[in-house]
Amino acid sequence: MKALWINREDNVAVVLEDVPEGAAVEAGGICLTAGEEIPKGHKIALERIPEGASVVKYGVPIGKAGIDIPAGSFVHTHNVLDVTSELCRKYAEDYRRKEAE
Amino acid sequence: MLQLTGYPRPNGQAGIRNYALVISTVHCANTAAQKIAFQTGAHVITHDVGCVEFEQSHARTCLALLTAAKNPNIGAVLLVGAGCEQTDLPALEREIAETGKPVGHVTIQEAGGAPEAVALGVERLERLKAAAVQERVPIPFSKLVVGVQCGGSDWTTALAGNTTLGAMTDRIIAAGGTVLMGEVAGLPGSEHIIAEHAVSKEAGLQIIDMCSELRAEFLETRGQAIEEVNPTPGNKAGGITTLVEKSMGNIKKMGSAPVQGTIRAGEAVPHPGLWIVDIRSDGPDANTTSGFAMAGANLTVFSTGRGSPMGNVAMPVLKVTGNPEAFQALGSILDFNAGDTLMGTDVEIVAERLMALVAEVVNGKETKSEINGDFEFIIPRERQR
Repeated sequence: MKALWINREDNVAVVLEDVPEGAAVEAGGICLTAGEEIPKGHKIALERIPEGASVVKYGVPIGKAGIDIPAGSFVHTHNVLDVTSELCRKYAEDYRRKEAE
Repeated sequence: MLQLTGYPRPNGQAGIRNYALVISTVHCANTAAQKIAFQTGAHVITHDVGCVEFEQSHARTCLALLTAAKNPNIGAVLLVGAGCEQTDLPALEREIAETGKPVGHVTIQEAGGAPEAVALGVERLERLKAAAVQERVPIPFSKLVVGVQCGGSDWTTALAGNTTLGAMTDRIIAAGGTVLMGEVAGLPGSEHIIAEHAVSKEAGLQIIDMCSELRAEFLETRGQAIEEVNPTPGNKAGGITTLVEKSMGNIKKMGSAPVQGTIRAGEAVPHPGLWIVDIRSDGPDANTTSGFAMAGANLTVFSTGRGSPMGNVAMPVLKVTGNPEAFQALGSILDFNAGDTLMGTDVEIVAERLMALVAEVVNGKETKSEINGDFEFIIPRERQR
């Protein structure tokens, strides 16, 4: 089954059809075994993402692994922390500070 | 290089259409305005205001009607009033006339009644249309203003539709044209990415400030932070995990060009490049497209996974879907299938095909929205700031 690897920096890919547990998934030349069922349009881990590491999609960090995520896992709200508000607040603060200097 | 043609206007802009437009200046004149438009094949703007409005609300009404009329795709304008409304019809007519386009008016009270106003209006508009006849001539990309938008989204929108629009944006900017991004309520969550690619520190700061204000306003009016209600349960069911991820899907439409800055409702684009139209409206998709029309856009390219039928009074709206099944099922409202990108076709190849269609539409090919006679306009409302 195919998954879309959007950006070379990404450690997740998007599955293009409903993937049953144990199915072979191919993304960007990497072959994985789906660790669990993954619905169409959702993300699969291309490699192990250690707890606290960034989940990268579109070439940018979209969140942090809340637990250790093995390769082939379903990546979603159950194992990813949404850190958007801290990320954006810190960026804005740094930007304004640089601007003031 | 794609060749474009259009209608150069006396104020330096260029239209890609030469539409005739009827504008009702007050709610009581809506029916007469609609009848005139129906009998002449013109487009029409009606609304539920124009009288007994608070000052701020009325200022926005007049700004929207004026800037829609000034859009370079509009060749001739007829204002239709009751005669005693709050809208200053003569002032509106004078300001539209400054663009050099033929403009006239009819009021129900002066004409001696509604059917009389319709008859007189039809006669006057036919004369204005005759005065607006113009030959298409080659125009440079620097005259082209294209809005990018999405709505009726599904899981393919970010992956295929918006990605293809982004590659199109890069091509239009590289050729010297202008692209407008709207939907600013969807920008918090990716301001760190957009600001990083801004053309200047000042433009970056505009983006950061806009997003900070949007966050504060959201919290103040709803009692919850944007992150608390986003992604929505529907987004999560579709595969979106975090707000950065949701917002990144939205800004894919902007491609990789640097943002020149933000413009407010009714402001014209200062110079070519990628701009953000900062209209902080909630509500339907037509708010954004109408805001583009008010900024002088010639065309909106609209990405939709589920299938939106929406058009705009001042421009063709070209529908791109990333969902091949939707394209098969909804052929009468969708113009372009970008779903090949999901099957592994390089997005650059698909974008090249889309650009060829954009050029055809610029040069006169009707979009499905035009064929279906879908010419919407709403007055975008927002809080005073």
